[in-house]
Formats: sequence, C-alpha cells, structure tokens
Amino acid sequence: MNRGWIRWSGLAGLVLLAVGTWIGLFVAPAERHMGDVQRIMYVHVPSAWVAMVCYTTAFVFAIVSLWSGRRVWDDRLVGAVEVGAVLNALLLIQGSLWGRATWGVWWDWDVRLTTSLVMLLLFAGVLALRRLADDEGRRASWSAVATIVAYVDVPLVYFCVRWWRSLHQVQSSPDTVDPAMVVPLRLNAIGLLLVAIWMASRRRRIEGARREAESAAPPARVASEEVARA
Amino acid sequence: MPEGVIAGGWSYVIAAYGITTTVLVLYVVSLFKRSSAAREVSDGR
Repeated sequence: MNRGWIRWSGLAGLVLLAVGTWIGLFVAPAERHMGDVQRIMYVHVPSAWVAMVCYTTAFVFAIVSLWSGRRVWDDRLVGAVEVGAVLNALLLIQGSLWGRATWGVWWDWDVRLTTSLVMLLLFAGVLALRRLADDEGRRASWSAVATIVAYVDVPLVYFCVRWWRSLHQVQSSPDTVDPAMVVPLRLNAIGLLLVAIWMASRRRRIEGARREAESAAPPARVASEEVARA
Repeated sequence: MPEGVIAGGWSYVIAAYGITTTVLVLYVVSLFKRSSAAREVSDGR
C-alpha cells in the first residue's frame, strides 16, 4: 500500500480521534444509570473492535503466509498481531476501570473478561514464539500456525455474551443506543482503525528491515570460521 | 427496582483516557526508536 496514503490516514485518524473524544467527553449526554462513567465506552468499544480487526487481518495474513511462503506476509502478520495485542491490553485496562465503577470489582472471572485475557495471552504467545526461532522460514511458519490457533478465541470473545450468562452486556446496536452516543463512538472507531493501520504498517516495515539485515549478515558459524582462519 | 446514577465516575473516565493515550504514545515512540535502529543496522551493513 502507498506509504504516503498510510501516513495521511494516520493523521486523519488522529483528527477523528480528537473530535470523537471531545464529543464523547463533553457533548454526548451522560447515561441514565451509569452517569459519566459510561463515557469510557467511547474508547473501550473502539479498542475492542479494532483489536479484533487486527487479529482477523493477522489470521488472513497467516493463511496467505503459509500458502505463498513469501516473507512479506510474515512482516504484515507481525504488525497486525502486535498492534492488536497493544489494543487488547488497553481493552482490558479500560474494562477493569469501568468494571470497578459499575460492578464494584476490578476483575471478575466472567466469560467475556476471561476470553479477552486469554486472547491477549495467546497473541502475546505468538510474538514470544518468534523469538525462539532462529531460522527465518521456521519463524514465519511457526508464527502463522500459532496465529491461526490463537484466532480460535476471537469469535469466542465476540459471541460468548450471547452463548453464556455474563456480567458483561451483549453488543449494542445503533437501534438501542442514543444517536448522540453513536456519533463519537463511530468517529473514535474509524479514527482508531486508521491509526492502527498506520502503526501496523510502521511495524511491518521494521520487521522487513530487520529480516533483510538478518539475511544479509553472514551466518554466525561462517563468520566465526573466518575469524579463526584470520 | 432502585433507581440511581453512579456518582464520581469522572476519575475513572480520566484514568481510562489517560492510560490509553499514554500507552499509545509510548508504543508510537517505540516504533520510531525501532525504525531508526533498523535503519542504522541496514546502513551499517
């Protein structure tokens, strides 16, 4: 994708986030029962949506990486997984703050909270697994397989509130939310998505540069033999 | 059914937005630092 376009989309995302946050904090009405604490929704829900978009994209990249064997898909996978994990961690922190204010507890082993934590641990595991593989090809295939396995939890996170009893509410829709609350929610969701695309693209380039430097460097064994010969 | 509104929610809202902004800024700083480190490695090759 065009680098300039991605940079501009990141800037546009920041503007949308600023406007959406301003409306969410100072213009949108307070919720009838939760009061002002409900304003966490304008950052919590976009974090959840965009984290899931990142993981879904990583899942697609994992399949293409295994199928094509081209390393560029592995670079893209790393970008999507890492940004998804950052947003997933934020999701848990924001949810914990919201839960403390409304449920009276920082954490509960509720099905939505637990599957969201497992999701973070699984994708953090993908990133950790990469550090164990020295060989570039093995690293790419391990990451792709681990991403596909980790992705099993993503639909569980989404649907668990419908399938099982949960403290967490089921998904809202524009029909069940005040229109004044929908606007900042959508602005923040689109803004965060654009910023996430920029961050994932930046991370992809770092991975590509690191991989190229690694493949250009002489293998450690050959280098040490040359030193011994000298 | 008891009716009421949660009072004092702003401190949680400020904490949520503050932590989110801080984490995202730190992550972007880490991306810039890693970018320049990767560039140095490829330039020094």
